[in-house]
Amino acid sequence: MRRTALAICTALLAIGMATGIYAENVKLTFMFWGSPAEKDAITKACKDFEGANPGIEVTPLYAVYSGAEYDAKMKAMSESDTLPDCGYFASETIYSYAANDFFLDLTPYVKADNMEKDYLPQAWIKFKGKIIGAYTAAEAEVMYYNKDTLTKAGVPLPPTDYKKAWTWDEAVKYWTKLTVDTKGKHPGESGFDPKHIACFGVNHEVWTGMLWPRLWGNGGDIFTADAKDVLIDKPETIKAIQQLADLRNKYMVMSSPGLTEYNSTGKTDPKVLLQNGQIAFYVSGAWELLDFAKMDFPLGVGALPISKKPAQVYISGVNVVFNKTKHPAEAWKLQKWMMDPSKTTELYSGGLWMPTKSSWYTDKADLAKWLENPAHPKGFKEAVVDSMAVARNEPLNIKNSNQIISEYLNPELDKVWQGKDTAENAMKRAAAAIRKSGLLQGLWN
Amino acid sequence: MHCKKETLWGWILVSPLALGLTVWVAFPLGVAISTSLFKWNMISKPIFVGLQNYSFMLFGDHLFWQALKVTLVFTLTSVPLQMLLAFAAALLLNTQVRGMGVFRTIFYLPALIPIMVSTALWMFLYNPQYGLFNLILDNLGLPTLQWLLDSATVIPSLIIMSLWSIGNVVIIFLAGLQGIPKELEEACIIDGGNYWQRMRAVILPQMSPIIFYNLVMGIIGGLQTFTQPYIMTNGGPSNASLTLMLHLYKQAFNFSKMGYANALAVVLLLMTIAVSLLVFRSSRSWVYYEGDRK
Repeated sequence: MRRTALAICTALLAIGMATGIYAENVKLTFMFWGSPAEKDAITKACKDFEGANPGIEVTPLYAVYSGAEYDAKMKAMSESDTLPDCGYFASETIYSYAANDFFLDLTPYVKADNMEKDYLPQAWIKFKGKIIGAYTAAEAEVMYYNKDTLTKAGVPLPPTDYKKAWTWDEAVKYWTKLTVDTKGKHPGESGFDPKHIACFGVNHEVWTGMLWPRLWGNGGDIFTADAKDVLIDKPETIKAIQQLADLRNKYMVMSSPGLTEYNSTGKTDPKVLLQNGQIAFYVSGAWELLDFAKMDFPLGVGALPISKKPAQVYISGVNVVFNKTKHPAEAWKLQKWMMDPSKTTELYSGGLWMPTKSSWYTDKADLAKWLENPAHPKGFKEAVVDSMAVARNEPLNIKNSNQIISEYLNPELDKVWQGKDTAENAMKRAAAAIRKSGLLQGLWN
Repeated sequence: MHCKKETLWGWILVSPLALGLTVWVAFPLGVAISTSLFKWNMISKPIFVGLQNYSFMLFGDHLFWQALKVTLVFTLTSVPLQMLLAFAAALLLNTQVRGMGVFRTIFYLPALIPIMVSTALWMFLYNPQYGLFNLILDNLGLPTLQWLLDSATVIPSLIIMSLWSIGNVVIIFLAGLQGIPKELEEACIIDGGNYWQRMRAVILPQMSPIIFYNLVMGIIGGLQTFTQPYIMTNGGPSNASLTLMLHLYKQAFNFSKMGYANALAVVLLLMTIAVSLLVFRSSRSWVYYEGDRK
């Protein structure tokens, strides 16, 4: 009897201690999106964080990305009070949420850790003087190509110095040489059959994020600096749009119109097409490197073709800590971890992200940590990393930009991509409609 | 005492339906109607704006009329086509042929496939560069089409896709055909009627209640089309496949205009009621119910 009682007491004590220990564990949720490879990389980063911070448990919440979807999910979660502690946030809508006090003010934490100067100045997202988030990474537009396809066609490899890239016309010339139909003819030659093309010279993504370098490189833009008017009917902007449309309809070096709203479900994966030699060049974001690293073919990176001047876009999702978190200090620790390239080096060396910490662009040792590996082809530094010197942030600070672009600009762009109208007519119509819509209400900040 | 127990049991047995209709239908409907009078972006307090959402819809929103046009064109084309095809299939499946069970299964299978899977499949079929349909057209020497990527062909493409999953409608028609009394058909044959006279005089009138049911269900479903345009084209190109439900969804979740989206939902509800009432009214002249007095 006594022994049983002793055994039961010991058991209860043990259970009590165990529960006590586990009750100490802080539970955080980190929400993010991305390809399956990104999912694995982030999950591993969360596990590493747990290992380095006993007492904190991180549950990674994975959501399939498509800007609108993530936004919808955020709203549903905020309505049902199930928001995560921290995680990615779609940059297009961040200011409207910041205006409604969604995010934790990170200024005191950043000050306490004396972090601000260590990072690229563009990396911090500020609203009304408070730091409310940081860019997850510094992503840019990259021109990828398949070395074998170029060598077979007798086309020289493109320059890697972003200041000495091909001109747009040179690029079109080479893309024409690379576009070949099933009988071996090129566009412009007699007997060329545009309905039976075996290899396309280029596939240029045309969702909004990928348009910026082309627009800026031509001297054009979508919004004015104060966002009270649009510049889409400026001749420079029209020229940039027409350049892209001509690739499809005039020079026939690009295949059927993709969707202006970036949606890869059901689209044939251009990365696989690049590998198979069905396209020669692919212009997309730097994040594609993560998936390319798993594909076995000679990948090359070239500098973006120049129209008037070299241009580059700084595009990325944003990492935030939500105001409703019950553990702000721990959530900030996780946020810091995700921002520190030395703690999450695989995310950078694997090719998914470019760092936001300044030293990783200037310090030779740090550069080697994330660039010297098979995932990053030679030339990536000169073509992309160095081009960040001219990179402009994707404009986020503009009220209603999401609706203006989606409801007024994209439908007109669709017509241009399909070859149903010229860029000039389409952009003039869009500009008039946008000005009448009452949506141009300036900046958030 | 006996009465009370019966009443109690009556309530218990009716309660799931009553609960369902009140909590899950009437209550959200009420909330939707009241939200349509506000302006609400879901992250701050709602602001009362009265009927402003409705006036914006009718006079300010250029996409509302586009969405209305797309929805009506899609519904009024795909529903009759679906019914015609399903009726023809049901007639075929009603014949005495060996292995009929196999054929019936094959016709019904597409209806079982989850919608995400079938959309992915059809997106491949419709791919202008590498898809199966263009491959077939090409080999036949016919011009290839852009299918989902051209604003002129996107609605016909969606209509063709909707004709693939008519399995449910076929089954209902088949059940109806098998319910036609044999004596009536035999009487027609004895009187010397051919196939078409049999169709007109016996089969169609006997089937009219079922045709009516499928018509109403088809129209209600068609007016609410969302999944295929959402996944395949997101309303594009150039809003050529923007159905009302998709427009509603975008307003609510992409642009944070919950109040306006609810107003769209209310208008869609009224439209569905109006069209259904029209069909019900017209049914008096062409639907024949056995047992009704003429």
